[in-house]
Amino acid sequence: MSFFGRLMLALRFARRELVSGELTILGLALAVAVVAMTSVGFFSDRVERALTTQATQLLAADLVLNANAPVPPALRQEAERRGLAITDNISFPSMVFANGQAALATYKAVGARYPLRGEVTVRRAGGEQSGALRPAPGEAWVDARLARKLGLKAGDRLNVGNLSLKLGGEIVREPDGAMDLYNFIPRLMFNAADLPGTGLMQEGSRARWRLMVAGDDRAVSDYRQWLSQRLPAGARLENVEEARPEIRTALERARRFLGLTAMLTVALAAAAVVLAVRRYLARHWQPVAVLRCLGLTSSEVGWLFVSLFALLGLFCGLIGTVAGYGVQTGMMRLASGFVGELLPEPGIATWLAGPFAALVLLAGLALPPLLAIRQVSPLAVLRDDMPVMRRSLAAPALAIGVLLSLAAWQMGDPALAAWLLAGLAGFLLLVGAMAGAAVWALRKLPSAGFGWRFGVANAARRPWLAVIQIASLSIGLMALLTLTVVRDDLIAAWRQSVPADAPNHFVINIQPGQRDDLRNAFAMAGEKPPELSPMIRGRLLSINDKPLRPSALSDERARRLAEREFNLSWRDSLPEGNQVVSGKWWESRAKPQFSVERGLAETLGIRLGDTLAFDIAGSTYRARVTSLRAVAWDSFRVNFFVIAPESLLGKQPGSYITSFRLPATDEAFINTLVARFPNITVIDVGAILNEVRSVVDKLTRAIEAMFVLALAAGVLVLWATLAATRDERLFDASLMRALGASHRQVRAVVLAELVWLGAFTGLLAAVGAMAVGALAANRLFNLPFEINYMLLPIGVLSGVLVVTVAGWPLVGKVTRTPPMAVLGSR
Amino acid sequence: MTPIDSKTVLLASEVAKQVSFHGQPLSILHSASLRLQAGESVAIVGASGSGKSTLLSLLAGLDRPSSGEVALFGQPLSGLDEDGRALLRRDKVGFVFQNFQLMPQLTALENVMLPLELSGRKDARDSALDMLEHVGLGHRVGHYPRHLSGGEQQRVALARAFVIHPGILFADEPTGNLDPATGRQIIDLLFRLNAEQHTSLVLVTHDNELASRCDAIYRLMDGELTGARA
Repeated sequence: MSFFGRLMLALRFARRELVSGELTILGLALAVAVVAMTSVGFFSDRVERALTTQATQLLAADLVLNANAPVPPALRQEAERRGLAITDNISFPSMVFANGQAALATYKAVGARYPLRGEVTVRRAGGEQSGALRPAPGEAWVDARLARKLGLKAGDRLNVGNLSLKLGGEIVREPDGAMDLYNFIPRLMFNAADLPGTGLMQEGSRARWRLMVAGDDRAVSDYRQWLSQRLPAGARLENVEEARPEIRTALERARRFLGLTAMLTVALAAAAVVLAVRRYLARHWQPVAVLRCLGLTSSEVGWLFVSLFALLGLFCGLIGTVAGYGVQTGMMRLASGFVGELLPEPGIATWLAGPFAALVLLAGLALPPLLAIRQVSPLAVLRDDMPVMRRSLAAPALAIGVLLSLAAWQMGDPALAAWLLAGLAGFLLLVGAMAGAAVWALRKLPSAGFGWRFGVANAARRPWLAVIQIASLSIGLMALLTLTVVRDDLIAAWRQSVPADAPNHFVINIQPGQRDDLRNAFAMAGEKPPELSPMIRGRLLSINDKPLRPSALSDERARRLAEREFNLSWRDSLPEGNQVVSGKWWESRAKPQFSVERGLAETLGIRLGDTLAFDIAGSTYRARVTSLRAVAWDSFRVNFFVIAPESLLGKQPGSYITSFRLPATDEAFINTLVARFPNITVIDVGAILNEVRSVVDKLTRAIEAMFVLALAAGVLVLWATLAATRDERLFDASLMRALGASHRQVRAVVLAELVWLGAFTGLLAAVGAMAVGALAANRLFNLPFEINYMLLPIGVLSGVLVVTVAGWPLVGKVTRTPPMAVLGSR
Repeated sequence: MTPIDSKTVLLASEVAKQVSFHGQPLSILHSASLRLQAGESVAIVGASGSGKSTLLSLLAGLDRPSSGEVALFGQPLSGLDEDGRALLRRDKVGFVFQNFQLMPQLTALENVMLPLELSGRKDARDSALDMLEHVGLGHRVGHYPRHLSGGEQQRVALARAFVIHPGILFADEPTGNLDPATGRQIIDLLFRLNAEQHTSLVLVTHDNELASRCDAIYRLMDGELTGARA
């Protein structure tokens, strides 16, 4: 036969096999595996593209100096001397006041040439505009959230500190805002020329000063070199290559986690593929013998089936890829608060990866048994028995190898991939042992009825299939129970751990001169005047005169703490809710000394008696640690890592901070407060927590999508196992019917088996979810967590529901086939 | 045995088959010889387990004899490997089986088209439709085997066997799975098609009445083939 003739034959063959439904389970399993892989693949590809090819736009410049103080003029002059374009971007949280209401916003004051790279899109009265745009002096732009919150419309006046600015437009997109990791707080952008007039930049104000630089590659790189030698304290460089490291880390973690769930799905789907291929080949032994009788040579048979499977792989790979793109788009939309609205479209390579993965999966899992079909002798048409296929270690070795390499490729971490597969195998063994014990116990039940006895016996007769069914379904179900029931329990436990009278508002940026006025404002409104604590910013220089080098710290949290500035405070009495766990509270207030929070001390390796040195506003303060404190952080009171007596830090310039509880109905008080003290910033903890919650909700929903895929793969495994035993079941049922069993009795047997499988699956999933919940509460969140025993009935019910609904159509036929139709053909 | 001439379609000379059974050689067929001319029909009769199917598989080239020689259309089968024998079967040999052996995943029409497609025939569809019409199944071409009765399935099998106009047809208990009335219809159809296409026929059966419709009857008993022309 010519090549073309063979190809046409294979195409016709493929079409007929697909239409007849012989390849449905195999095809679905492949498609699910591809959906799981490509949805994660698309996601990471788009994020990667956003981070690299568009990095300059994400930065809105070629190089950014990010500092916690105004950038020294010498650095700016040097950039200009080198012919580079520069501009500023100063951001800080503050209150905005409009229409009689106040709201917290992240202010962003932008310089005359902002943005140096990328485009800003803004919606004005005349429609959307894009380009190197910025608010004119006297004008402010807000994002949709702030506009909604304050009920703003074009032309409204906004009180920004001491200034009144006109609302000029709504920000649709800003280049360096799209990837903000924690943009829980709405945005307000205005011209940097207006910044001094607002009076918001005062001593101790928390702000980021960004010097943005752009120019030709060479000049930027030279300037970067020059600048890196002269970095001011607390400043760091952001450039194209290492744009937003914190986002990169977070996204890398997300990608890994999603990759892990995707591989779980792939591994389950692979089990379904293997089972489906076995059944397919068993059912095709005789037809292939007929083909050989009709004159097809063994190599033509091999070619026919290999090309059939290749076509199937391409077809399902393509379908899976398109579906994967859809899933990924949905996940992106759900996670949009996290990754920003618009990411570049995925590259062509990602589109090709799906069909390629399907082919690799098929080659690894199906090729060895598939090639064995060449050995079918035409003689088999005259014999009913199917010769036993030769078993070798090569086929499972190839399958594991393929799964491992797919997992390594998917997760970019071969060790993690190996652990995942080993964990899965261990889980399978554990479930096997438990299922075996359960079957044994159930068969001993003396009161079991006819259906129950035979149904359980059915499952026991094919123990490995039962184990595979239970294991693969329970993984998906457990993950879903964890994400739904356990997550809600954790949130509830966390809510309960916060005292009912905990403060729900923080006020920062209170200037020393405003202290009395502020207390009066509280008293006049009938509120209890809160305690004000001084807040001074300082950088830890050394421990026992050993300079602190953040880069030398191995612990990531320690590194972060060492890099940023601390909020120090001074006071003479031990703060409420604090407890000295080591050493003593000030014995002599006159003596320079520090009290350090226990957790921070542990992280940075600070012991009682160590000498710490802090740089505060250019002066060095050196003193010994005389006490370590335990702090109840979840009390929501104002707490500090490091406290000194007034005698040491009392003369330092700083601002004040306080926290208070305000009923949710009393918004008016905040509005009055902000109207009277425009420079202070009121942070509504509840509102921010709600923002965080909504982002977490969206993220878990995106992850849920992956676990639904895992459950779908589990259902496919169930189908594949049920289909693999269907002919056998048909025969059993016919025999039973021939012996006089009623429809109802046969149905009871089938139903009992499904119910048993489902119940055991659900039970296992529930126990697993309980364990995950307890572990998370204990280790991750440190919450008092009560195991929700409702998980058991919920798990068992959902298991029974999933298995019977999914399994019934496949086994339902068993009860409908007349006995002779099956027995006669044997 | 007379030498092969152009009219000889099948020539078996002293064909024997031994298998190993629990390590011991077991002789299933001793020295069987048989000749079939173009358009002739022979019946091989014998009780269950007498070795009928073994002989059929050797004559059709589905299996190799332990000794002796089978030649189909003048071509000694011992000179061909399995693939060579497959190519010979593709164009010139038809089969009908007791359990029909239709492809379950193909419709009646697709089953009949299959051998034509294997030969790369462009008119596969039209020829197969004609053939199905000819065996009285023009109205059921789109049905899958599982939706056809036993008699209808065997008609499809006959259509599939005859659609390539084979030089020789091997039929293995073609009525074994059918009730007597349906069986008679199938046999009538088989002999009609055989006569129309001038095909040689090797019919394996345990039904003496059926065998008597052939030109010659061979009897197989305990692996020994005896018999003569009618």
